[in-house]
Amino acid sequence: MIHDFIMHVMCPFIGTIGYAVLFNIPKKFYLCCGFTGAAGWLIYHAVVSMNASAVTASFFGTLAVVLTSRVLSVRKKCPIIIFLVSGILPLVPGAGIYYTVYYMVTNQLAEAVLRGMESVKTAFAIVLGIVLVLSIPGGIFQLVSTEKGARQRRG
Amino acid sequence: MKIQQIRRDKDEYMDLLLMADPQRDMIESYLDRSEVFVLVNGGDVCGICVVEPLKNRKCELKSIAIREKDRGKGCARYMLRHICEHYGNQCDTMYAGMCNSRRNIEFFEKCGFINSHIAVNFYPEHYREPVCQDGVRMTDKVYMRKQLDSEISVKKVVDLALEAGRILLKNGAEIFRVDETIVRICNRFHVQYVDTFILSHAIFVSAENGMEEAYTKVKQVPLSSSHLGIVAEVNELSREIEEGLVSIEEASERLRRIDGMPGKKGYFQVLAAGIVSGCFGYLLGASELESMIAFVIGCLLHVWVLTAKKYQMSKMIVNIAGGVIITALALLAYHLPVPGHVKPDGMIIGSIMPLVPGLAFVNAIRDIADSDFLSGTVRMIDALLVFVYIAVGVGITLSIYNNMGGRLML
Repeated sequence: MIHDFIMHVMCPFIGTIGYAVLFNIPKKFYLCCGFTGAAGWLIYHAVVSMNASAVTASFFGTLAVVLTSRVLSVRKKCPIIIFLVSGILPLVPGAGIYYTVYYMVTNQLAEAVLRGMESVKTAFAIVLGIVLVLSIPGGIFQLVSTEKGARQRRG
Repeated sequence: MKIQQIRRDKDEYMDLLLMADPQRDMIESYLDRSEVFVLVNGGDVCGICVVEPLKNRKCELKSIAIREKDRGKGCARYMLRHICEHYGNQCDTMYAGMCNSRRNIEFFEKCGFINSHIAVNFYPEHYREPVCQDGVRMTDKVYMRKQLDSEISVKKVVDLALEAGRILLKNGAEIFRVDETIVRICNRFHVQYVDTFILSHAIFVSAENGMEEAYTKVKQVPLSSSHLGIVAEVNELSREIEEGLVSIEEASERLRRIDGMPGKKGYFQVLAAGIVSGCFGYLLGASELESMIAFVIGCLLHVWVLTAKKYQMSKMIVNIAGGVIITALALLAYHLPVPGHVKPDGMIIGSIMPLVPGLAFVNAIRDIADSDFLSGTVRMIDALLVFVYIAVGVGITLSIYNNMGGRLML
């Protein structure tokens, strides 16, 4: 249980923050970035454990990441790219690249093609997920945070 | 807060106007030939301002009034500044007539007005009822004037907007944000007609305000490392500019400061890269020990990235060599007599992560989603090439290792 928590919550959380540091994202957004990354990975992990393919899981993980980023960017009034860049990282098929190259080098071409295709498919799933959520009109996300917005206006 | 010009049904705002001028027929006498502006805050009209254009590049501020509950928040000053900027292009002097009370005069002095002339016995002659303020009956009408500086030329505004755009684009903002910021800044400083054409590495702006000739400028923005903190700062600034809180000089000063913002310290970045490697290594199936080694490899890798950046090496060299370093170090760890059994794959996958071109990838998708296909394609190719470079680096090392007779266990 604790191991699961460390592995699936803390790791993406801290790792995402580390990536945020590399892009010089301001300190005050670290927690939000970590949260975005962890949310994406948790959804990905949940979908994978339901025996879905990695590609499908990446798609749903991306949806979670982009939705979180959009809500956060409206709330914090800052560019969405700040949360999106770091949050998407756990879903990027880094392992796919490695295995593709590995099989290619060790002359297992069939495996290499399989892995390569899967990486490309994952990349497309991510693209699709991002485009899908980005094309939701902004007004809806304004609504999500109106409660807070209204309080600010009054105070 | 926004300021809108009212062109029809000007007498709809009579309630507000009567606050500043108690006699209805006096207001009606100038309302038709004057220009009326209202201050809108969150859908409500909370202030009004009437200006009559006169001959010889002069104009007169006839009336300015703020709703009772919005007083004391600087609304009037904000509005007056906006109006002065607005007339700066067509008039040299603005007059304002008021009754002779300390409060009025102090307010206009703060806004840069100076004494001009006095119309003696104006109020008793023109008004049927006695005009009183703070319990004192008013007789003379005091006129104050202000030199309107037409400094806010199209050129200056476009230069500011372009600089903001350049900083945004250089530090990895999306095309649409750059475009929005430029148009926002131009419109705020009364340059109404703006056309932009923005690529991933150049900005073209052409602007005019209907009076001078169109002003066009092109700026090349070479691809360089990104700093999202700066993007957030410029975004914040442009929001403030739009709300009218920042003047043009202040804005360019702040832009200069933002542009000089340093990145995170070197050792901090190295540590962060290590953490990325370690965490993602563990996440993607490495053991605790392997993650620890991945942490070290990630740190060393970033030392290389920083050094390469210092000597301005090309992306290709940085990433291929990066791939080589990662793989070589992981294979080294595989052969070192470390306690337990380590496999190189988890370490390599983890250490690749800090090199992954997340920003270029996300930006490319973002641009394509906004139909900026040209820039989107360029950035996508940029991202894909980085993936390929990393793969080449890893591949070269693995195949050399294989040819040397080492056998990998997956």
